[in-house]
Amino acid sequence: MNMKRLFSIVFISLFLVPVLLFAAGTKEQAKDTGDGVTTLSVYHFLDQTDKTTAPNFQYLVDVFEKANPTIKLTFEYGYGEAFHDKLQTMAMSGQLPDIVLLYPGERTSQVTNAGLVQDLRPYLAGHENEFADMAMQGQGKNGEIWELPEDISITSIMFTNNRLLKQLGLTLPKTYEELLAQGPKIRAAGLIPISIANKDAWPMQSCVAGMLVERACGLEWFDKAIAGEARFDDAEFVYAMEIIKELTDKQMFSPGTNQLAYGQGLDDFVQEKAVYFIDGGWTVNNMIGELTAEQKEYMSLESFPDIPRQKGKSLSTSATAGQGFGMNAKLTKAESEAAWKWIWFYSGPEGSAIRQKFGRLPAYNLDEPKDADPMIQKLVAYAGKVPMGYVMDSVLAAEPIGTFNINLQNMMFGTKTPKQISQELEAMVTAIGR
Amino acid sequence: MKKTITLGKGLSYLLMITFTLLTIIPLTWMILSAFKPHALIVRHPLSPPMSWYIENFTLAWTQGHLGIYFINSTIYSLVATFFTVLFAMSSGYALSKFHYKSSRFVSLLYTLGLLITVHSVIVPLFIMETKLGLSNTRLGVILPYIAFGLPFQVFLATTYIKGIPDAMQESAIIDGADFIQIFLRIIIPVATPIISTMFIYTFLGNWNEFILVLTLTSDLTVRSLPVGINSFAGGMSRDYGLQFAALVIGTVPMIIFYLIFKDKIAQGFAAGALKE
Amino acid sequence: MTFLQQKRMSYYLLLAPGLLLFASIIIFPVAYSLSLSFTSFGGYGKPAFIGLENYVKILGDEVFLHSLRNNLLIVAVSVFGQIPLGFLLAFLLHRKMVRNGNFYQTMIFLPITISPVVVALLWNQIFSSSGMVVAIIRNLTDQPQYVMKIFENRQMAIYPILFVLLWMHTGTYMIIFFANLQKMTPSLLEAAQIDGASESQMLGRIILPGMVGTIATTAIFAISGSLKAFDLIYSMTGGGPAHFTEVIAIYMYINTFKYYKYGFGSAASMIIVLLAVGLILILQYISRKFERRFE
Repeated sequence: MNMKRLFSIVFISLFLVPVLLFAAGTKEQAKDTGDGVTTLSVYHFLDQTDKTTAPNFQYLVDVFEKANPTIKLTFEYGYGEAFHDKLQTMAMSGQLPDIVLLYPGERTSQVTNAGLVQDLRPYLAGHENEFADMAMQGQGKNGEIWELPEDISITSIMFTNNRLLKQLGLTLPKTYEELLAQGPKIRAAGLIPISIANKDAWPMQSCVAGMLVERACGLEWFDKAIAGEARFDDAEFVYAMEIIKELTDKQMFSPGTNQLAYGQGLDDFVQEKAVYFIDGGWTVNNMIGELTAEQKEYMSLESFPDIPRQKGKSLSTSATAGQGFGMNAKLTKAESEAAWKWIWFYSGPEGSAIRQKFGRLPAYNLDEPKDADPMIQKLVAYAGKVPMGYVMDSVLAAEPIGTFNINLQNMMFGTKTPKQISQELEAMVTAIGR
Repeated sequence: MKKTITLGKGLSYLLMITFTLLTIIPLTWMILSAFKPHALIVRHPLSPPMSWYIENFTLAWTQGHLGIYFINSTIYSLVATFFTVLFAMSSGYALSKFHYKSSRFVSLLYTLGLLITVHSVIVPLFIMETKLGLSNTRLGVILPYIAFGLPFQVFLATTYIKGIPDAMQESAIIDGADFIQIFLRIIIPVATPIISTMFIYTFLGNWNEFILVLTLTSDLTVRSLPVGINSFAGGMSRDYGLQFAALVIGTVPMIIFYLIFKDKIAQGFAAGALKE
Repeated sequence: MTFLQQKRMSYYLLLAPGLLLFASIIIFPVAYSLSLSFTSFGGYGKPAFIGLENYVKILGDEVFLHSLRNNLLIVAVSVFGQIPLGFLLAFLLHRKMVRNGNFYQTMIFLPITISPVVVALLWNQIFSSSGMVVAIIRNLTDQPQYVMKIFENRQMAIYPILFVLLWMHTGTYMIIFFANLQKMTPSLLEAAQIDGASESQMLGRIILPGMVGTIATTAIFAISGSLKAFDLIYSMTGGGPAHFTEVIAIYMYINTFKYYKYGFGSAASMIIVLLAVGLILILQYISRKFERRFE
């Protein structure tokens, strides 16, 4: 036989090995080891180096494992974009962990839409009333609950430094015009009127635009817009965008806000370089550790003042049910029950009580915390009194929202007009399908 | 005449000093900041540390699990680099001294490999590794590292070995050596200068690699330093002191590594001037 | 076994381990990616074939075109900035134009050892609105609102990044040229020196012509590296603000991993490859012409 040909064949077949390996299936691994302990893998969004959230989460895990010695949880953590990249990779390769942190909106829709996780309603039956209404809204096309929300997240709070306000001889503005009028005085004192860091592009949408859309358009309009009966280039929506443009042009936001990494907004507020600071309720978690006891007394949680021609409710904000754990559709019955034990522990009464102490705003209805940190008490009180509208990124798909976030930056720079970015949003939402 | 020389000299120094300062200032600042607590960095970003605040390092080391990451980084960088260089040298020898038609095609494939971004293969790669049970293992990280290192290194090896006179190989054949012996006893020793360069480059690249190890692993026990550092440097981290300490832990070993081996390169270059 | 058989077997043996790994880990996934680029695959379900639609959409996308422009600027900075500068530095060091050349060489090369993520973080700490330089300017000019406008300009936002890239990669080219200068036969230069040739004459008549091959090779690295540039830019700006500093690799990443458009993202990564192949072919054509002229 011709050696040359033989070698060529061997050589080519080497190339084919990966193809064959790729096509080959794998054996499912048995998880129950037979000693009565169920091991479940959990994928969670957590910054393991965060001095506040990481130990807090570990505490919850410890309490759970002590109470449930037959369940062993193995955790993998992801954080920031990396969390979502990995989740997507796992979902596409069919390697989703047993329990996984999901978002109520579109952020993790590639997992929920693909039928990779179980509907939690059968497990939840009978407990629906124990949660805030917002948390029990259907997440899937047929009203499925894919994840049990841990928190209510209020995405727009105007944190106010009352000491600076007093020092400047100002009072909390009741109207938008008043707020604008305070700008020059605050800047003259070398301070930032409204601290917000928008380099990552989502804060302006999540913490400002959603709230302004609720004010300018009202809740009803938003329901219609989602149903396709109102359009995102309607005059009232454009008006909300114009307010952001005006706030930018009148230098109300942190100078160079689009260059500031998220986190700088809070830094400037904590260091009292800013009078107001717009961010979500989740920052209270960090404020507990970073504000001094004295600061906690004069920092208050307020709503953005009322705007002219306001259609929404006065002092309203935007809020959504937060993320929570869901479970893999492939789990066996016994595994599912063990998984549910963790989910219910975490978002149900026990875990919620613990998390509330840590500064969160659980979706599970709890009594007001008496001995909690002053900032938590302020957050709970704030949540109890303000009307709430939609958060845009929890109702619109990833691509329209991603484009809209960036378009808000474009508008702030003047490279696009409020009208243009509204039209582009409408076009994109229509193209993708509502 | 004299004037142009001094002007040229002046400009040369200016250029050299500019580059030097651009390197020294940020690095010094990073190292000094790592010894300052968060509050001091925020309030006085430029001031030197008041005292040597080493809690940043101890905290970063324990909280970020940098110890185990450090070991893994070392394993990945060493093992993957060794095999990348070995395979690149053997390929380079095959491609430059055998003169088969298929060499051109293989070289072209490797050149195309230079153009592939990690992101465009990450999902198929992950699927493949989970099916093979390789994800979450050290081997599962090392194999892609070798593969991604190859295109550039094969290129370097091929061009270098091409420059080795054919006469060396021919006289060895006459003496009865086979090609594997020639590769091990002649090509590799003669190519030491390029090997040290290849080794350093590949090692640095592997040490700093982030996306592959992040995607292909999930257990703390098999992840490496860039993952640990990223968890400090990622957007919302609230403690600059910790962040700088983590950066120093990740960066300084490489600077030391380079400072040690830099003379090796220089020697290699000097010895590598082939006698013709 | 005859000699020729032995030779052929050795050839395959030497080539196999590397090629096998390379094929399974890079070539095969890329082929998979290529086939996905003609579909509307969104991460789950069966990919639907849509022909060239992804490519047409990408080429008509304003964001893509701006990214392409940024990529071409990076190519330009690498080829016409890093390479000449690297050559100049190598030449100065080789001809011993400065004292302590060894020290400078070390310093110029040092940035290569630092991870791009760390570099990005450092430069951000220096130039961002909350960074060192801005703080100094604010103090000096007594303008507490001062920000660097260059980062907010659609055309210019990429420039600071180009500068960082120049700083980071010039060292690589310097080392490559330095090594090749060392390899040049010193007798040629000595003869020229005896004949009274000046430094610039030697550079133009002897050194540069001998370097055409090396320059062409480094240009290939520069082009391929520039077109897939990702880590540094993503860590510095994430492509923002408002896509101003976006490059094709980031464009591809966002579409794939944030918008779940897997087919679309694959098409974008194929465009990177095609573009690089095109540029490299042009480059080889040019370098061949040069080589002939010098011969």
